[in-house]
Formats: sequence, structure tokens, C-alpha cells
Amino acid sequence: MLRTITPRNARVKRVLKNREAKTEENVKTAIFIRGSQTSQVVNDALADLYMLKKPYAVNFTKKNQIHPFEDQSNLQFFSQKNDASLFVIGTHSKKRPNTLTFARMFDHQLLDMMEVSIEHGVPMRDFKTPKSAIGMRPCFMFNGDMWDQNTNYIMLKSMLLDFYHGQTVDKVALAGLEYVISVTAGPMTSEGKPGKVYLRTYTIVLKRSGVKLPRIELVEMGPSMDMTFGRITEAKPDVWKQSLRVPKELKPKKKKNITKDDMNNTVGRIHLGKQDFDKIQTRKMKGLKKRSAEDEDSAKEKKQRMDASDDEE
Amino acid sequence: MDVSEVLAAHKQKFKSVSVEGKIIPLEFDLGLLTAYDQNPVDEAALKKNKDEYLHELSRDNAQLLFNEIFQLQTISDDNGVMAMLPNPTTLLPREKPLPKPKPETRWEKFAKAKGIVNRKKERMVYDDNSGEYKPRWGYKGINDDGSKDWIIEVPAGANPMEDQYEARREAKKERIERNDKRHQRNLEEAAVATKMDQKAVNKGDRPNMDNVRSLKRKEIENQILISKNSTASAGKFDTAIKGDLKPKGIKRQFEPNVAADLSKEKAGNMSILDRVVGKNGEDLVNVRKAIKATKARR
Repeated sequence: MLRTITPRNARVKRVLKNREAKTEENVKTAIFIRGSQTSQVVNDALADLYMLKKPYAVNFTKKNQIHPFEDQSNLQFFSQKNDASLFVIGTHSKKRPNTLTFARMFDHQLLDMMEVSIEHGVPMRDFKTPKSAIGMRPCFMFNGDMWDQNTNYIMLKSMLLDFYHGQTVDKVALAGLEYVISVTAGPMTSEGKPGKVYLRTYTIVLKRSGVKLPRIELVEMGPSMDMTFGRITEAKPDVWKQSLRVPKELKPKKKKNITKDDMNNTVGRIHLGKQDFDKIQTRKMKGLKKRSAEDEDSAKEKKQRMDASDDEE
Repeated sequence: MDVSEVLAAHKQKFKSVSVEGKIIPLEFDLGLLTAYDQNPVDEAALKKNKDEYLHELSRDNAQLLFNEIFQLQTISDDNGVMAMLPNPTTLLPREKPLPKPKPETRWEKFAKAKGIVNRKKERMVYDDNSGEYKPRWGYKGINDDGSKDWIIEVPAGANPMEDQYEARREAKKERIERNDKRHQRNLEEAAVATKMDQKAVNKGDRPNMDNVRSLKRKEIENQILISKNSTASAGKFDTAIKGDLKPKGIKRQFEPNVAADLSKEKAGNMSILDRVVGKNGEDLVNVRKAIKATKARR
């Protein structure tokens, strides 16, 4: 158990305040851990994933006796100590070769966890191509029809997005879009089990196209991994529900009388107020002119005078 | 003049930005810069030429994603051209639970009742004496309440021998102490209200602070009763103090001597018998613990 820290100076106080629950959260920090036994493939994968996650990442270079599917107390401790909520644990054994375990925490308790085995991996350094700068926001692509059908795929998608989506912002610099993480779901195995997943990372080259939109070319930057699914621990439904809550302040405010129809057109409803037909403006005509009593009197006089003049004639 | 030829020639110089062959249109979550391509993967091509196929597929989808991103509303900034992103539609779990609202302090309650609204004041204020801008409070602040004055007039009716600097320092110390006490009181009341109004707290609202004084009193009474009961004799031989709290315990309830229905009594007695001599009696004694205890005695 961690001792509770009582801040004795302003710096510690600030750090602790930053760790408190907030409406707009910090970017999740990931910890990359080597298990008791690792292979070169796993080490390379961990190093590359760490590079992509920097600067919101902590790399544990020493080996750790850690078995997340048996005991999560280590993860809880690391999570509290580092204020981190994402984990990648690399292990290698005869039974489960070249395995990466992705784990997520909620409130320093395990939320969900999944295992993938790297069947074939090429590290970043083997591609002699330009790399993206550190800390850039990637674009994601999920190709294939499996991504919202099977729990394994759904979780992997959610994990990858959660790991690398970075700060939620309302604007992004177009020049800062430097690389793409493309994940393709291969076909199911003949037994109907989830098949391979291909993770590829490319840098983006914008070319002139003669029109306003640029022509995109991709250059593989690495890492590249072909993975299969292993064990999985799903989140408990009530905890999952709690973790998806959106604070009141961040919920989009409902705009009154503006709706979207089936064709995604915005439809507004306007209140016109009560119409008063007496005051409504119609075409002006002399005959319909409303006259006050005085006007009418003078008109009568005029008429009388005219009558009188007629008599004189 | 026919320009179509010129246009065609111009077009041929560049590669196209449109992508063909997508039966199901892609879905986008531009808040996360993500594209979901639901089209089934071409298995034959994947098997035959994996990396090339994946590269081609990714390029096409990246093109479609960028076509969407470049059509968003843009603004120019110091950082270059920025695209305004919509809110993400894919829900991702939070890292920590939603923050709990802080319970109302006495001042906040008072201010609300009186309609006092907090308004922002500038941190730096003009100081007439030095002709400079100085912080309103804190280090080198202007609210040093004159303890730095080089001369202080003795107030009317005060002892002329009294140190006025000391008096001011004392007064400040006292004010700080009083404020600390109030802070403490607010914390205590908040703790009690949070404990008593769990319903609101679990819902993510502020606890009800209306009758917090009586709640606090009840809480303290409870604590006193517990402490009275915590002596070696469970409070039996303590000297009674006049006006002291008397514990309101649970009154013992006795069954009537002649019960109308004897089946309940029978069932109760049978269950005791069963636990002692019956089959269920086996786990009455923790055998492992008993062995350990007897061994230790030897």
C-alpha cells in the first residue's frame, strides 16, 4: 500500500492537485513493463510503442515478476505511484510466445485487459524512412468488417484509441498530422475464432493534386506487427458504465427548437407570435383608409361647401 | 476557346484525390481523427501480397479521411492552419471517476442567501505610497496592515507604554487563528453532511447542509456514548455526571412464556442442537486453528 502524502510545500500540493479527479482529464499515462522473460521481438515492440506514446509514457527498463491475469496488485501499485492508467506488459514464454498485455485502469483499479501475441513484428529501426516527431497526434484507421462485432476486436480498437488519441482538443494543426496507425482485421480462422490483426504505422506525405484537397501518400515508418488474440478480461458492467460518464459541464448543451431530420438536415422551428389581423399591413388604398372623427367632420364641411358652390352656379 | 484539353493535361500531371471501389462508405470520428472502413478485406490479395495490399488499403482510407479533415472549417493561428474538430463520437472510458462537488461552506451558504456574487479583482493594485503596482496580498503585498509603518500613533485611551507593533501582530495572529477554526468547522460539517446524505453524494450532488448543526451534534453524542462504553467495565463503574448522556440501547425482547405457536420455538432449539451434535456441527470448530492452539500450549 502507498502511504498517503500530506503536502508540505507548494510544489507537492500542485502535483497532488493535478492528480485529483477532474472534469477534463489529463492525457492518460502509459507504463511499459518487461515481464520476467522477454524476447527481442517483445522488447522491440515495447520500445516502439513507447516511442509512439511519448511524452505521456513511463518505460520500466528492469524486468518485473508480473502476471496480470493472476494478480493485479502490482498494476494497482504502479498505477497509484505513477498516476498512470494504461499498461503494456511484454512477456515471452513457451506457452504464450511474444505476448503483449494491454491493461487499462479506472480509479487505480483494473478496468479491462487483453493479450495479443506478435506473430511477426518489424521494429521501427528496420525501416530506413523518416519518422514522425515525438508527441504528435496520430490518425487512426480500422479496416475490416470485424471491428464492432467481436469483443476482442472491440476492445483492441478501444485500447488503441485510448492509448494514442492524446489530448481531446477542438482544433488540430493540419501540418501536425504526421502519421497514421492503420489496423486491419484479417479474416476469421476456419474454426470461427478471431483471426490475425495487422498493425501498420505510416508517415503521411501531402502532395499537390491540382485541386484544393491534397493527394496523400503513405510511407511505412514502423512498427509493424501481425498479432493474434489471447486471453481477455472484460470490464465489469457497472464499473464500465461509471467510467463512461460524461460530466455535466462537457455535455453538449441542447439547443431549443433545432432538430435534425432523417436526411441530416438542420431544421429550425420559429415562434411567430400571435397575428393581429387588424394591424396587419395590406395594400394601401385610399378608400380603405381609416379616418378619425375630426377628419370626417372636415370632409363633411368640404362636401357641404362643394354643394354650396354647385348651388351658386 | 476550348480549354477542356488544357484542363485534362493539367489534371494528368497529378494523381487523383478521389478513391473508388468502396461499396460501404467509410465512417469517420473526426474528433479522434479516426476512419472506420467496414468493407470486407480482400482475402486473396492479403494472402498474396500482404504488405503491399495493406499499404494500398491504408493509403486509400487515409485519402478519404484527409478529404474529410480538409473540408472542416479552418482558422489561421500562430501554429499555422488549424482545422476545427467536432466532438468525438466514440466513447472512451475515463481515467478517474467524476469529481465530487465540494460541500457548501458557511460563507457560501450566507453569500447565496444574501445574493453576494464573487467578482474578480485584479491581482496587482496601484500603491500610492511607493507609486508602483503591488500585489493585493501575499509576498510584498499591500495588505501588511501597517506592521511596516515606521511610526504608529498611540490610539486614544490606550496604554502609552504598550507596543503597538506587537498589538498589531497579535491581532493578525488572532485573525488567522479564527479563520483556521472556521475552516476546521467547515471541514467537520462537510464530513458529517457527506456521511449523512450519502444519497445525494452518490448521485454526484452536493450533500444537504441545511440541518448540519443538529447532525453534527448527533454525531458527537454518538461518539461520546461509544467512548463511555469503551472502558474496561463497559461504562458500568464510571462515576455518573449530572446531566450526562444516557445511552438509548435496544430493549431486550422476550418471547411470551406460553406461545401460541410452538413450531418456532422448536425450530430454534433444533437448530442449536443441530449445530452442536448434528452434521453441521463439523464446521463449528476450526480444526486447523484448534490443532495449532493445542500444539502451542504444549
